[in-house]
Amino acid sequence: MFKEERDNYKFVWDDLGDLEKGRPNLGLTVPVLAYRLLQYTFRDVMITELGVNKTNDIIIKAGRLAGSQFCENMLNRELDFNEFVSQLQRVLREQAIGILRIEKADPENMRFTLTVAEDLDCSGLPPTDEVTCQYDEGFIAGIMEAYTGKPFHAKEIDCWASGERLCRFDVRLQEDTE
Amino acid sequence: MIEKFTEKLAILLQGNIPEEIDTAKITGEGELNLANMLNQLITFMQEIHDFIIPLSKGELAEIKMSRKNFFGSPFKELHSRLIHLTWQANQVANGDFSQRVDFMGDFSEAINNMVVSLDKNEKILKEKIDELEKALSHIDKLEGFLPICANCKKIRLEETDPKDQVNWVQIESYISEKTEAQFTHSICPECMKKLYPDY
Repeated sequence: MFKEERDNYKFVWDDLGDLEKGRPNLGLTVPVLAYRLLQYTFRDVMITELGVNKTNDIIIKAGRLAGSQFCENMLNRELDFNEFVSQLQRVLREQAIGILRIEKADPENMRFTLTVAEDLDCSGLPPTDEVTCQYDEGFIAGIMEAYTGKPFHAKEIDCWASGERLCRFDVRLQEDTE
Repeated sequence: MIEKFTEKLAILLQGNIPEEIDTAKITGEGELNLANMLNQLITFMQEIHDFIIPLSKGELAEIKMSRKNFFGSPFKELHSRLIHLTWQANQVANGDFSQRVDFMGDFSEAINNMVVSLDKNEKILKEKIDELEKALSHIDKLEGFLPICANCKKIRLEETDPKDQVNWVQIESYISEKTEAQFTHSICPECMKKLYPDY
């Protein structure tokens, strides 16, 4: 899977492996530091090798793929919007990914302002006056795409690292950004 | 200069916002840095003041604070939570009882209990309405004139030939058919005397 050259994504949920079988003693969860260590070191190396823009582009695409797979495998896509949001809040909380809240929702025009508190990517980071959750941007867009079947765009407008105590995302249809 | 700085800090500590320090005449590098930082603090406190007053009145729409104002971060978080709660309250008002408030302590528990009660009460209300509608539909069936035999008290079925005896039924079977009432037979004292005079 990781040693063949290819142009298309191949990741499927089963590639995560049988975690219960594989980690009978250590369990299914790891500390946040392990997640951040992985992501931040990846990003650091990628920035030096590929530049900031290309790195962020890759991070967003990876998040989008993850969000799409997460939605297809962890969420019921048949629910109406309100039920889907409640379900998403619950699952993100149970998986300790973050506390999702809606500030504004216009389901008719598919435009939302979401916040994620205690975000896995950034909560507690030192202030750097920049938004850092590009992976989340892709992840949220990927979830919405898998739910609606339409391309979505998510943009982080506030972040813990930029001085907020949570992350705030503007989420809308891709076509509304063009 | 120290006196001026002390005076500004004293005003801040009293809960008021002082004028910024005029840095134009400050020459020493250390004093200028201190004055700039104090001015930054005054600006932050002014922003927090301007943010928290409308927030305390529930005016959520137009208030903002600069990103670098880290003193104000908890208020910004509170602001965000109140915006979310406003959205949730509107959702509940529109009948979405799946909404729950997370991680806000006693407040979460109180709001969540309220939403569960609203959900339960609405379900009970709907059941009662269904029962009443059912009862009303039965009453409808017994409205109007009932053709009844003056002698044997049999009822004629609606829109049937009065000359055909099969269309005349016992009053008990008619009412049982039209309602959920059932009959249990007994004998009244007057009839008892007539039927069993020696008993």
